Amino acid sequence: MDLKKTIGTLKRELDAMTAIQTFIAYAFLLVFLIAPLVLMVGQAFVYQGGASFRWFTDLLSSPEYVSFTSRGGRLFEVRRGVMYLWGHDYGILLNSLIVAFFVTVFCSIIGVVAAMLMGRYRFPGKSLFRVLLLIPLLATPFVNAYIVGKLFNPRGGLINYLLVDLLHVLPWRLDIDGLVGVILAQTLSYYPIIFLNVLASLNSIDPSVEEMAENLGARGLRLFRTVTFPLFLPGLAAGAVIVFIFSLEDLGAPIGFTGARANPLSRKLVSYQVYSSFAEALTGSFSPKIAALAVIILFIAVAGFLIIRRYVNLRTYAMLSKGGRWSPRLRTPSVKTQVAIILSLIFLVTLASMPQIGTVILATSNWAISGTLPTKATGQYLGTLVSDPDVTRAIVNSLLYSGAAVVITVLVGSSIAYVVARRDIPGRALLDILATIPVAVPGIALAVGYFLLFSSKMFRGSILDPLLDPALLMILAYSIRRLPFTTRAVSAGLAQVDKSLEESSMNLGANRPTTFFKIVLPLIIGHILGGAILSFVYSMSEVSTSVTLGALREDRVPITFFISQIVYGVAAVGSVSIGAALCVLLMAVQITAMAISNFILKQKVAFLGV
Amino acid sequence: MVKVELKGVTKRFGDVVAAGDVTLQIEDGEFFTFLGPSGCGKTTTMRMIAGLEYPDEGGIFFDGEDVTNLPSFRRNTGMVFQNYALWPHMKVFENVAYGLRVRKVEQAELKKRVDEALELVHLDGLGGRFPSQLSGGQQQRVALARVMVINPSVLLLDEPLSNLDAKLRVEMREEIKEIQRELGITTIYVTHDQEEAMAVSDRVAIQNHGVIRQVGTPSEIYSFPREVFIASFIGRGAILEGVAGVSGGVPRVDLGGFTVEGVDSASAVGDGDRVACVMRPESFSIGAPGEPSNRLDGVVEWSSFIGPYREVKLNVGGTTLLVDVPPERETPVGGSLTVYIPVRRTIVLPWVEVK
Repeated sequence: MDLKKTIGTLKRELDAMTAIQTFIAYAFLLVFLIAPLVLMVGQAFVYQGGASFRWFTDLLSSPEYVSFTSRGGRLFEVRRGVMYLWGHDYGILLNSLIVAFFVTVFCSIIGVVAAMLMGRYRFPGKSLFRVLLLIPLLATPFVNAYIVGKLFNPRGGLINYLLVDLLHVLPWRLDIDGLVGVILAQTLSYYPIIFLNVLASLNSIDPSVEEMAENLGARGLRLFRTVTFPLFLPGLAAGAVIVFIFSLEDLGAPIGFTGARANPLSRKLVSYQVYSSFAEALTGSFSPKIAALAVIILFIAVAGFLIIRRYVNLRTYAMLSKGGRWSPRLRTPSVKTQVAIILSLIFLVTLASMPQIGTVILATSNWAISGTLPTKATGQYLGTLVSDPDVTRAIVNSLLYSGAAVVITVLVGSSIAYVVARRDIPGRALLDILATIPVAVPGIALAVGYFLLFSSKMFRGSILDPLLDPALLMILAYSIRRLPFTTRAVSAGLAQVDKSLEESSMNLGANRPTTFFKIVLPLIIGHILGGAILSFVYSMSEVSTSVTLGALREDRVPITFFISQIVYGVAAVGSVSIGAALCVLLMAVQITAMAISNFILKQKVAFLGV
Repeated sequence: MVKVELKGVTKRFGDVVAAGDVTLQIEDGEFFTFLGPSGCGKTTTMRMIAGLEYPDEGGIFFDGEDVTNLPSFRRNTGMVFQNYALWPHMKVFENVAYGLRVRKVEQAELKKRVDEALELVHLDGLGGRFPSQLSGGQQQRVALARVMVINPSVLLLDEPLSNLDAKLRVEMREEIKEIQRELGITTIYVTHDQEEAMAVSDRVAIQNHGVIRQVGTPSEIYSFPREVFIASFIGRGAILEGVAGVSGGVPRVDLGGFTVEGVDSASAVGDGDRVACVMRPESFSIGAPGEPSNRLDGVVEWSSFIGPYREVKLNVGGTTLLVDVPPERETPVGGSLTVYIPVRRTIVLPWVEVK
């Protein structure tokens, strides 16, 4: 009876359209997400033909990867008028975790403070700050870290020049490099993720909840601790776990710092080690040890993501309010406080947008070779975007890959969002998780998995073989990695379309496909385009698979690979400006996309969360 | 127009029974209402008739044809949703034309029928507007026109008036009834508002916890509720607990301080049973009526002038009754008052605690 009922339900729910959508979604995720990762995990557990933990015990027992005493480095060490801030080497694996931890803590502090200021106070220039605080979201891969390294160079770094030589506020020059440099560069790039998540949570708190607490006598810190903080904690947790994962898998900072300062400490990170081993992979063999390393960070990232996701779902308080006024709770503080708020925000914005400002200066002047300050403006680097055939080819490649990836992402992502939101089929929850999990899958882990699977005997010589032509694999990798953007955007759209709008269509005689195309699609097309634009932008600036798989064939390299080579120093001195010019192009694409989203589609840019 | 039959229809959501073994027959052209408190399963029952939910057990038949597993778009029912479910991206004309376009009705015919439907609901000339440019009452009319245009075999109305203000609600329900009578369409109506149900329905089914408790004409249900739940859900007045003494089919109920004679409308009361005694405030009179009646002498506890009548709380032998007296009658608090209630208006039911 129960079985009969289940089959009956399945038959009704699984009409032709749902069946096709579900099949495509599962097939795509299975082949291009699950299979490569499973194969990679499998290889990491094989030693000399048998199942073994050998690679993992090797890693964990080798001081090169895990060491509980410092293997070198300098921290708060003053020598000959220079304060060295490099950090200590505790082995590659621990280094990655330590860096990710500090980045998460610093981003959380900055993000929460900025969100509280923006979400609770009224002061002049606020709407300007709202925009300025998001500047770090503009992607300037590799170049941002290069610029941080350049600014904090004890020999001629602009910051040292200002603080020591000009203003005499510091007794010694700062040398920020190595792991501390990576932490600084990542913090500046990632704090907006937490800022946006917390701000969204703050804005969804019904003001009367806080007013009630005040009415009962709670004020100031007590109000914050007992009511406000617990209510935005889920938003903070969601943002924090994303920052932690992004930091773990980031390649931009280690490569960028290496280019700027050549301190080997900034390379002692898991992401960098996996990346550099791709060079060996070109010769055919890929060490299972590297697969094991990728498996470890994959496991940490995915586990952290799933745990936080569960926690956030449990703790997302449905606001119980009924009616009444709902304008954000804004206070106008005293003039003195307002000045303090504005000054601290100016400080934050200036510091955080240094990489973006620096990128523009680098691209339009001789700063790369002139020393502390640029001395001459020039358009020659921006000119190379159209004149240098190698650069132009990278741009065209990136546009093609991202465009193709968006088509795939939109088809699969909308299907998943629709099936998950509307159809009661078995495996629905799994589909939902699979469509979100790419946020947590480190790009380098995916790259390793792709390489292992598609260069294996099964695919050798096929169009998917990366050693033959990595273009198609990069497109697929982009579409998997950006799938959560589109899926979330479309889900948000569907959440706004009441189910009864579809039911009334079916009640009037339209079958499901007709209902989908005539009712649902027109109502969510804005969200689909919004998700598509976001996916496109983040595909253009994708780093991890671009610099690994992209390296496999010279005429197939995308923009980010090209930048990484320039910044890393493979190309001639001074050519870092060409990398900066490419970053300016990326920023222009991103600003255009945001403008289209905001003003034409009227969509708030959906941002990252759990 | 069709006859709708439900046979043993059961639907569960987890542990909650939304419809429990619902069996009933709705006649061709009848205006039939499911009435019950919120969460009683009335909407789910209607959605199963529309094909938007499917029963776990039992069957649904239109004119004897089994439609239990037929998807909604093959049933030709016309459902008006509680929130109207107008498509915001289509103008009124396109909203109404939708069902006809799906049925591939040719252009000239389509235009004629849409115009007729809009005329039927007094919205002629508003076809070029978007739903968001209409008032709540107008949106309601569009929703009605949108289903009427396809000549549905059954009209389904799910709390269609709950989003309107009180005055418009009365106006619209009269209009709906008018249209239904004119077209003779089988109509199923869902509401939690007893007055609305009484005003429009040929027959009413009272549903509670998924189960149909009583089916009857509005006056049957009002005058002869079959159980305490129905008596308390519909109409005003005190429901008093007592002990029955049955002799010759007429129960006498001992209510503590006094006794009354009543009718056993559910034929379920035995000698010595705990019973509930239902006396509607408007059934009382000041002078003795010309039929067998109960005489009750009491003291006025509280009195309030409502307009058409005066509502009095009368203490009779330690028990408080709610009694309507003519508005011109002065009833000072503390004064004594004698009232009569006919035996046939004194309903005796088996006692059940109403949750």
